[in-house]
Amino acid sequence: MVEGFFKHMAIIRQSALALAAAAALTGCGDTGVNEPWDPLEGPNRFVFSINRAVDTIAVRPVAVLYRDWMPAPGQRGLHNVLENLGEPVTAINEVVQGSPGRAATTVGRFLINSTIGVAGIFDVASRIGLSKTKEGMGDTIGYYAGVEPENGGFYMVLPVIGPSNARDGVGLAIDAAVDPFSIITFGISNTAGWIYAGTRFGTTLLDRRSRTLFALDDLEKNSVDYYAALKSAYTQQRADFIRQKRDKTGPRAELEQRDKVALVR
Amino acid sequence: MFASRRAFLCLAAAAAVAPPAEAADGPAAQLIEKAAADVIELIKTTKGAELEAGIRGVLLKYFDIPYMGQAALATHWNATSPEQRERFLKAVISSEARAYTERFSKYGGQTLVVARVSQRPNGVSVVDSKLNQTNGQPITIQWEVRDTGQGLRITDVKIEGVSMVMTHRSDFNSYISSHGGKVEPLIDELEAKSRQPQ
Repeated sequence: MVEGFFKHMAIIRQSALALAAAAALTGCGDTGVNEPWDPLEGPNRFVFSINRAVDTIAVRPVAVLYRDWMPAPGQRGLHNVLENLGEPVTAINEVVQGSPGRAATTVGRFLINSTIGVAGIFDVASRIGLSKTKEGMGDTIGYYAGVEPENGGFYMVLPVIGPSNARDGVGLAIDAAVDPFSIITFGISNTAGWIYAGTRFGTTLLDRRSRTLFALDDLEKNSVDYYAALKSAYTQQRADFIRQKRDKTGPRAELEQRDKVALVR
Repeated sequence: MFASRRAFLCLAAAAAVAPPAEAADGPAAQLIEKAAADVIELIKTTKGAELEAGIRGVLLKYFDIPYMGQAALATHWNATSPEQRERFLKAVISSEARAYTERFSKYGGQTLVVARVSQRPNGVSVVDSKLNQTNGQPITIQWEVRDTGQGLRITDVKIEGVSMVMTHRSDFNSYISSHGGKVEPLIDELEAKSRQPQ
């Protein structure tokens, strides 16, 4: 499986650079960093209203039931399994971001949690000091793009998934394409691939929604234009994450990280 | 829908990689610690309307609401009359007091720990803190503190990288521009919201 990562690596590095360049060229709205660039506001608001209807009727009630009735260890277990499935993509992104040490930790986490952690149900790796990271291609593009991380290209609301932008939307698509699990399952048969993708999407949606209930209810209640408030909050949070990464990956942070790993071993 | 999907995950990483906490006992850090202590005291001793009144007191004492209100209205601030500004700020205080009362009413023993204070060249102090929860990941909260002429005041709160002032600014600006570019409908809406029963 590890060879698989590196086989894809060269292609990914090239496409990431190309995308970063593309983002730098096309992603510049002239609205400044404070207000997200939203040229598709009309269609976005339309998708947003459909998402809200679907959420109210189907997603939210199930998420509430899940949060209130599923025992906490079960919720944690499912969350850990889903996070574990995301580790290979995180490792790929960390390699592309030029942090092979961090990627090795992620691969180590994946190997430990998939075996000793029983298919990822238990996050054993965190307990022995291998801390968790989560990186997607959206983060990688943001990391390399020479623009303010608030500028992720045009804002877009994806069906069901919700807030995104050009950077993160492209990132999601690439992450899905390079995900070893989908490559393997689709390699077996199309049916297997779609069953895997559908199940993972559905459970991830449930997990994420149950974890965002409080924050999103709060934002909706305390805003006069929920669409605009969510767009702003999403953009800020993503920018914060990417900015932290840019600040942290100096040579010093790399050394600190290596020291930490050395201490663990 | 996935707005905060990475927040919880990124926290684990941030907590692990963050530099050791520097001695944080400057006036800015003290302000935050005092405000947090006041709030926890309020939560423990009061509830309902009394709690809301207390929270309102904390907002007025520690926050510079006029500064934040002006920042949130951005360019529209200049187009508002003094009477409109007063109504706007009053409505903002009411809605914030209510929002915080509701957030705190779910209080379950969380503690706020100030990690470090960084000074910006423009005189603004940024206080990094973590809200440690009894279950689940700690929440990162950054406080922007500055001297606005009446001593140190909080002028913004960033929760998980999301600024309260900035989010309100986008929210308010969008509402204003979809209502003929006028501030009056926004003030009416905020006042109506603050009158609604919980």
